[in-house]
Amino acid sequence: METIIKDYISQELVRDPELLPLADEASLLDSGILDSLSLLQLVVFLEERFAITVGDADLLPENFASVNTICAYLRAREPAKQAAHG
Amino acid sequence: MAYLLHRLLTDAAARQPRRPAIAASGCVLTYQELDQLSNKVARALLRLGVSPGDRVGVLAPKSAASVIGIYGALKAGACYVPLDPKAPDQRLSYVAADSGMTVIIADEARAPHAAALASRVRQARGVLVAGVPGSQDGAQAGPSTDQGAAVLPWSAVAAESAAPLPDHAIETDLAYILYTSGSTGMPKGVMISHRNSLSFVEWSAAAAGLSDRDRVCSPAPLHFDLSVFDLFASCQAAACLCVLPEGAATFPVSIARWLETERISVWYSVPSVLTLLACYGGLQQFDLAHVRTVIFAGEVFPPRYLAKLMTGLPHPRYLNWYGPTETNVCTAFEVPPGSAGAGPVPIGKACANTEVFGITGEGRQVSLPGEIGELYVRGPSLMRGYWGQPAKTREVLVASPFRAEYEEPVYRTGDLVTLDQAGNYLYLGRRDTMVKIRGYRVELGEVEAALYRHPAIREAAVVPVPDELLGNRLRAVVTADEPGSLGRQSVLDHCRQWLPSYMVPDLVEIRQALPRTSTGKVDRAGLASE
Repeated sequence: METIIKDYISQELVRDPELLPLADEASLLDSGILDSLSLLQLVVFLEERFAITVGDADLLPENFASVNTICAYLRAREPAKQAAHG
Repeated sequence: MAYLLHRLLTDAAARQPRRPAIAASGCVLTYQELDQLSNKVARALLRLGVSPGDRVGVLAPKSAASVIGIYGALKAGACYVPLDPKAPDQRLSYVAADSGMTVIIADEARAPHAAALASRVRQARGVLVAGVPGSQDGAQAGPSTDQGAAVLPWSAVAAESAAPLPDHAIETDLAYILYTSGSTGMPKGVMISHRNSLSFVEWSAAAAGLSDRDRVCSPAPLHFDLSVFDLFASCQAAACLCVLPEGAATFPVSIARWLETERISVWYSVPSVLTLLACYGGLQQFDLAHVRTVIFAGEVFPPRYLAKLMTGLPHPRYLNWYGPTETNVCTAFEVPPGSAGAGPVPIGKACANTEVFGITGEGRQVSLPGEIGELYVRGPSLMRGYWGQPAKTREVLVASPFRAEYEEPVYRTGDLVTLDQAGNYLYLGRRDTMVKIRGYRVELGEVEAALYRHPAIREAAVVPVPDELLGNRLRAVVTADEPGSLGRQSVLDHCRQWLPSYMVPDLVEIRQALPRTSTGKVDRAGLASE
C-alpha cells in the first residue's frame, strides 16, 4: 500500500524533483506537494484504487500529512482490504 | 482624498490607530503598529540607497512581515515587485533582473534565497529582512560574499525611527509591477501606478461595502492581482486583512473551519477555491453567518458549482468581478439570489469611472444582444504599460477608435464578449492562445518556449484541455531530435525548472511528428480535438 501511494504521489503530484525520493514519513503539506487541487487528485486516485469513498469530514491534515498517515487512515477505514492490497 | 496607496495606511492609522490591520498566523498588528513598522522599513530602504522609482522585490508569502515590507517600499517611493516563493529559481532570476531590483525584501526564512537571487542582479544593493516585533534574527548580517548579497537583519530595521516620512512619490509613479505570463516565452511586467491602483481600490471598497468592522480574506498570493483588494481596499476602510494559513488552504474543511473561527466577513478568490468549498467544505457543519460578501474573479465560475455554493451558503452577496491585471477590475456583476445555475454568470457592467465597449470584427461597437466583439477598456485604472517593453505596450494600449479629437489610450483585452438582454457583458473566450488555469493567466507560447529550451526537443505544441475544476489542464505534444532520446519525466523535470507549477503540462506525449495543416503549420485545432 505504501509503495502504491508513494509511486502515485511521486509520479503525479511532486512538482519539485528535489523532493524525491519521497520518504514514508515526509510531510506532504509543509513541502507543498499537496495543495487544494492535488489533494483532490489524490483522493480520486485513492477512491478508485482502493474502492473506497472519502467523505468531506475525512479531508483533514491529520489524515493526509504523509504517506504513513494516509495508509493509517486507509487501514483504519477498510481493514478487510488491507490484506488484498497491503 | 489619498493620491498615494500608502496614504491609505497613514490615514487609517490616524483614524483607527488601535483597530487590527492584519491578522496572520497568530500575529495581530494594529493600524498604528503597521504604520510605524513600515516607516522603519522605508527608512532602512532609503539608508540602503533606494531612490524613488526603484524596484524593490518582495520574496515572501502574504504575511505580517511582507505587508510591512510592501508599505515600507511604497513609503520609500519605490515600487514593489512580488516574487512568488513557489516559482522556480530561473523564473525568479529573470523577474529580478528584468525589473532591475535594487533591494529584495524577504522574511527570515527566505533571506538566504533572496541573497542568492540579489547576487545575480547587477543593480541589487542587498536584502532587507522584514519581521514583526519579537522576530528572532537568524539571518547572517554582514557584507556581501561570493554566496550572496548583503543582508540587513530585522534587528537593524527595527532600530530605525518610526516617525512619519515625507512623500517620495506622486500618483503617476509606479506602485507595483506584477509579472504575468508572456506569449513570447518570458513573463512580462504589468506596471501599475498609485493612481491606477487607487482607482480600483476606492471603487472596490465601496462596491464591497467595506467598513472597519470587516474581516477580509483573499487567499491569492502577492504576485496575483486579486491581492490588491485585501492589501489596500481593507486599508481604505480600516478593515482587518486576515491571512489564510497555508496549511488550512489545502483542505476545504479547514478553510471552512477557519472562516468560522476567524469570523471572516468578506472573501475574494478565484472560483476554483469556492468550488472546492462548495463540494468538499462541509459548509453545513459550520456557522458562517458573518460571511456577508463573497467575491470571485480570475476565471469563469462553472454555473452548477456556483449554484451549489449559493445553496450551501445562501445569505451572502455574490459578486463576479472581471478585469485583466492590465486594467485592475473593469466590470462587475452581482449575482441575484436564486439565479445561479441557469446559465453563464455575466461579467456585468463597467465599474464606476471606467468605460468598456465591444468592437466587432467589422469595427462596429457591440450594441445588441448576440453581437460578438473584443472588449476594450478605458479609464484611470489602466496600467502604465509593460515594463521595458514599449512595443508590446503599443499592441494593447491603443488609440480609442471612437475619439479622433484627442489621444487617449484604451486597452484591448483580447477577450471576446457579447451583451445579454439586460445590457450585461458576457465573456465568451479569447481571441489568442492565452488560457486560465486556477485563475492564473497562461500563455501557451510561454510554455512552448520553455519546452524548446530542452536540449532534446525538436518541436513542441501545447494545447489546453478544458477542466471544470482547474479551468484548463495543459497537454504538451513534443517530438525528439533523435528518436528514443526523450523521456516524459525528463520533459516534466525540465519544465519544473522554468515554469511555476500551474504552467507545467499535466500530460506529455512524445510523438514521431506533429500533425500539420495544409499550409504546413502545426495543427493545434486538430490536436485540441483529438
